[in-house]
Amino acid sequence: MSLPKISRVPASRLLSAVHDPRWPLRSAAPLAVPKRALTQSGYRRPGQPREDKPPWQRIKFDFSKGLEGITKHFKLLRQEFSDRLVGPEGKPIIEHMLEQNRVIWEFRGPDSLQEWTLSSDREIGGQSEIHLKLGKNNETCFLYGTLQSAPPRDGETRYSGYCSMRSKQPLVSFDRKKHHDWSSFNTLHLRIRGDGRPWMVNIAAESYFTHQKDDLYSYFLYTRGGPYWQDVKIPFSKFFLTHRGRIQDNQHPLWLDKVNTIGFTLGDKADGPFQLEIDFIGVCKDYAHTEDFAYEVYKRNPEV
Amino acid sequence: LLFAMGLGTTITFASSHWLLAWMGLEINTLAILPLMCQSHHPRAVEATIKYFLTQATAAAMLLFASITNAWITGQWNLEFMSYSLPTTLVTVALALKIGLAPLHAWMPEVLQGLDLTTGLILSTWQKLAPFCLLLQINPSNTSLLLILGLASTLVGGWGGLNQNQLRKILAYSSIAHLGWMILVLQFFPSLTLLTLFMYFVMTFSLFISFKVNNSTTINSLSMSWSKTPIISSMVPFILLSLGGLPPLSGFMPKWLILQELTKQSLAPLATLAALSALLSLYFYLRISYAMTLTMSPNTLLNALPWRLPSNQHTLPLAITT
Repeated sequence: MSLPKISRVPASRLLSAVHDPRWPLRSAAPLAVPKRALTQSGYRRPGQPREDKPPWQRIKFDFSKGLEGITKHFKLLRQEFSDRLVGPEGKPIIEHMLEQNRVIWEFRGPDSLQEWTLSSDREIGGQSEIHLKLGKNNETCFLYGTLQSAPPRDGETRYSGYCSMRSKQPLVSFDRKKHHDWSSFNTLHLRIRGDGRPWMVNIAAESYFTHQKDDLYSYFLYTRGGPYWQDVKIPFSKFFLTHRGRIQDNQHPLWLDKVNTIGFTLGDKADGPFQLEIDFIGVCKDYAHTEDFAYEVYKRNPEV
Repeated sequence: LLFAMGLGTTITFASSHWLLAWMGLEINTLAILPLMCQSHHPRAVEATIKYFLTQATAAAMLLFASITNAWITGQWNLEFMSYSLPTTLVTVALALKIGLAPLHAWMPEVLQGLDLTTGLILSTWQKLAPFCLLLQINPSNTSLLLILGLASTLVGGWGGLNQNQLRKILAYSSIAHLGWMILVLQFFPSLTLLTLFMYFVMTFSLFISFKVNNSTTINSLSMSWSKTPIISSMVPFILLSLGGLPPLSGFMPKWLILQELTKQSLAPLATLAALSALLSLYFYLRISYAMTLTMSPNTLLNALPWRLPSNQHTLPLAITT
């Protein structure tokens, strides 16, 4: 039992404790959790060992790694300069104009798995698991795991049970953010093979303020289980705005000129194993799609 | 709101006291802010905030400079700025307000976050008030204005090369043109005004044609030949006029500016400015190439615009050098 020891106060001293509120606290046993200053330094993922060292003792100085980092960033910088000579984003402008399909993420080697971040219930104390590996012949990515919707027992969470995979923010030299520019496309094209579960595709665009950092544009992805591959084409006009998982009243279309990440989330309340295989994720330009935005933008209940 | 903007610029025009001028500029800024975030998109709000912060900084610097001048000379009048520090500070503050290099960083992103009409107002109307102040002060150090002007033309040319978003291209073209205007400010102010008005007309027509095509990237422009063939044939003229090619009217201010600079024995500067105009000409040419000289593989459904644009864009063709 790791409950902190509760000090037993003799009955005679309770009366004096009424006038002196600090008394019971002074006699309490030392708490089992570490002091606030150490845990305030960041988020600790559950399952990782707790580090009780103060910040100045946590510095690891490695000269060769530092040198590697510097050379890597300068190489990226030089690459960027030479890319600019060719055209925006390193491609000549004629390619930008004529482009109709672009494959953004393809899973053809173990390096491609490094671009993705997995997260699940486990971070808040639940029991879902998620893993990512390469599929057969190194051709696809295989996302699998178990969903458990038992909520963690911390007294505040009511519902739980989610797993998600999110692409990492692309970075340029010196760890600056780079955005995907999909303004010449209007549809998201995925080739997936699922097990019948309903997933959610989330696209995060570049945002500026703290309140809008968790703005995601989502849409559903219904997988049909089955041995056949499923080609899913979702126009970007269908993505609706959500903030921290809740759909917002004031909707606006997703602007495609600064897209940061894309992610897949599973949150149906069915416990059990799940699998999703993704062949590629790309964007394409559907010339027959003329819709700007699929949802109403004007006020739905105007005050009279 | 539009009335407030007009009021702001008018106050600045009519003012001879620094405080009144500053007030006019502030009214201008504050009136355009709600216009900018009307679309309630987070990118528009971000552009509004960036614009507000830069303009507020510039206004604060302006106020500080005018107060310093008043402290030193006891004069609140606009024309009597005789000390170098306040004058320099005022120039820098006004440069930030209109987006000259090296204080131009806010311009492309702010314009990118706005829709085309508001972007038009921002890049044309908002330049009037700071320019009238710039015209009235006596610049004490000539090199500052020349450096600002040259840097703006260079930055405007180089920065616009790698963009395929139209609003950013227009922002960089605005920076370049403002650079040209500043170059000649201290020698022949009426040339500055001429360039300013030419730029207004050309940018206005360009914005309107982009708005009619409802396009914000170069790729979507390539569809416009099927939607509005008349505009597609006029836009290359406008673009080349912005670039300053001889038979079109955009060449006139550039030619006169170069002439004036050489008269002031600043021939190397004139050469550099002319060479940097080439850079911006490259991306104007690229846009006109995309619009007119290419046929894209598939056409969108013809959505004919049912409101008529203004006919002002025929003016540049009518005026020849």
